[in-house]
Amino acid sequence: MRAPLAIQLQGIVVIVGNYGSGKTEVAINLALACRRAEAHVRVIDLDLVNPYFRTREARYLLKAHDIELILPPAPYLHADLPVLSPAVSGAIRSPGPLTILDVGGDDVGATVLASLADAFRGHTIDMLQVVNPNRPNTDSVAGCQAMRIEIETAAQLAVTGWIGNAHLMEETSPDTIVAGYGFASELSRASGLPLSFITAPMALVGSLGDEAFDCPVLPIQRQLVPPWLLAEKITVPDSRTPGGATDIG
Amino acid sequence: MGKVLMKGNEAIGEAAIRAGCLNYFAYPITPQSEVAEYLARRMPEVGGVFLQGESEVAVGYMIFGAAGCGARVFTTSSSPGISLMSEALSYITCAQCPAVFVNIMRGGPGLGGILPSQGDYFQATKGGGHGDYRLLVMAPASVQEAVEMVMAAFPLAEKYRNPVMILGDGLIGQMMEPVAFPEDLLSEPANKDDWATTGIGNRSGDTPNVVKSLFLDPVQLNNHNLLLKAKYDRMRRDEVRYEAYNMDGDYRVLIVSYGTMSRVCRTAIDSLKEEGLEVAMIRPQTLFPFPEKAIREAAGKEGCRLAVSIEMSMGQMVEDVERSIQGRCPVEWYGKCGGEVPTPEEIVDVVRSMLQK
Repeated sequence: MRAPLAIQLQGIVVIVGNYGSGKTEVAINLALACRRAEAHVRVIDLDLVNPYFRTREARYLLKAHDIELILPPAPYLHADLPVLSPAVSGAIRSPGPLTILDVGGDDVGATVLASLADAFRGHTIDMLQVVNPNRPNTDSVAGCQAMRIEIETAAQLAVTGWIGNAHLMEETSPDTIVAGYGFASELSRASGLPLSFITAPMALVGSLGDEAFDCPVLPIQRQLVPPWLLAEKITVPDSRTPGGATDIG
Repeated sequence: MGKVLMKGNEAIGEAAIRAGCLNYFAYPITPQSEVAEYLARRMPEVGGVFLQGESEVAVGYMIFGAAGCGARVFTTSSSPGISLMSEALSYITCAQCPAVFVNIMRGGPGLGGILPSQGDYFQATKGGGHGDYRLLVMAPASVQEAVEMVMAAFPLAEKYRNPVMILGDGLIGQMMEPVAFPEDLLSEPANKDDWATTGIGNRSGDTPNVVKSLFLDPVQLNNHNLLLKAKYDRMRRDEVRYEAYNMDGDYRVLIVSYGTMSRVCRTAIDSLKEEGLEVAMIRPQTLFPFPEKAIREAAGKEGCRLAVSIEMSMGQMVEDVERSIQGRCPVEWYGKCGGEVPTPEEIVDVVRSMLQK
């Protein structure tokens, strides 16, 4: 059995995608996973268009894991106003080992990136588009590509890779992940852009088998849950027991 | 068709299209704006119309106009927007036109906040606008149920020639869940000939249909109100919907809760069951008509010591719960508002401490 492929990202990573593609859940879990290897990880909540289920909802968790989070000023955390803190451009100018930008949905959400062009200048940027083929509008390669062009036009930045985030919330099965991987691979071939990684619920990772995929798999432990569910307790995969995990609180 | 993952607001828009509604007028407001955004893209694909009014007041009358012409029509808004539409709701109800209104509630009063709330219970079930009128009010607890209720709302609005309101809190609009869509319902309103102003040449009858809400003669207005009342009484008799939870065995407490709040209560009821405390729940799916009889019978069951209305509001539905129970057991209220949603742990503690009183 070969060792799991590792996600290798550095510098500025911009997470974009259509509404509800799962950008925020990916950004939170990606930050937690990368923090295990990197000395410093920073997340910028750049979602200026969504009113609920934003990175700011996980602010205490990220803080507890020593991840820096840049948010709008506290009085405006629950506002539906496009509040862009000056700390954002400062953080982009000095990204450190890893700075993840969680951007709002669609071209509307990505528009803010164009206003940060000065801060981005001179930096290499990974702009990764999250796709879930179980969402309307991105259930076809053509739909994802159309969304990509809309986002690139609004952001004035080019998408450099894909994140396959196929799921159906609690109804996600191994078949959902395997079919989603097939879809993301086809999208990667058609677009000529790499598939950076796919995601899978932590509970399913063990049953999937690493050999099935030619890209890394980011295990997801759901944090943005409605009030009747509990957020999953963050654990790190245990390499000694396939599918096992160690609680880190 | 397999399931798709949709935000409640998107699913509500798609459900209206599947129900054969191709006319949508609205004005954006958080946390409902994604309906407008979704339908701005989707309506042109199916030959439908989305027109944004200059305000919710205008939208209310755009709905009245389209409904009066016999078109299947709907709008969506959030609390302050529904306040502005309330005058038109009263007019539409008096003129007996069918239409569907969706309220994705946010915290109030006033401009309030953008987080989920159930503060518009009174507004939806007891007026909002002026005069003796009622809306048929349905409250979904999941995205799938929102889809089913929106699709059921159009035929019900046409059956009663009365607006139907879907009352969801902000979470219903904003959360994502997998949904499946039932078969399309692309029929025309069946009774249109009797009331819609489609032009005399377009109908089988030869008397003009008049859509109006002005009755200057007091006898006529009284008679019109009696006719409306008879309709609301028919709704009370035929349209009550509710869901019972954990009611098969004995229980010491009855919770009454609706919408997403009831899902938090379910989690709490499951925890209490593990501790050995049996709690039952009635979840009204229609808020008007209210499941009075079911709640009265459930509260009157031997061993039931207490009923609690749990709401994301400051004690609104509790008045209907008290009225339904008619003193068969004590009635308490627990709730929060403004975007604070009671947690399952909180409800467990509240139920326990209320029982000890």
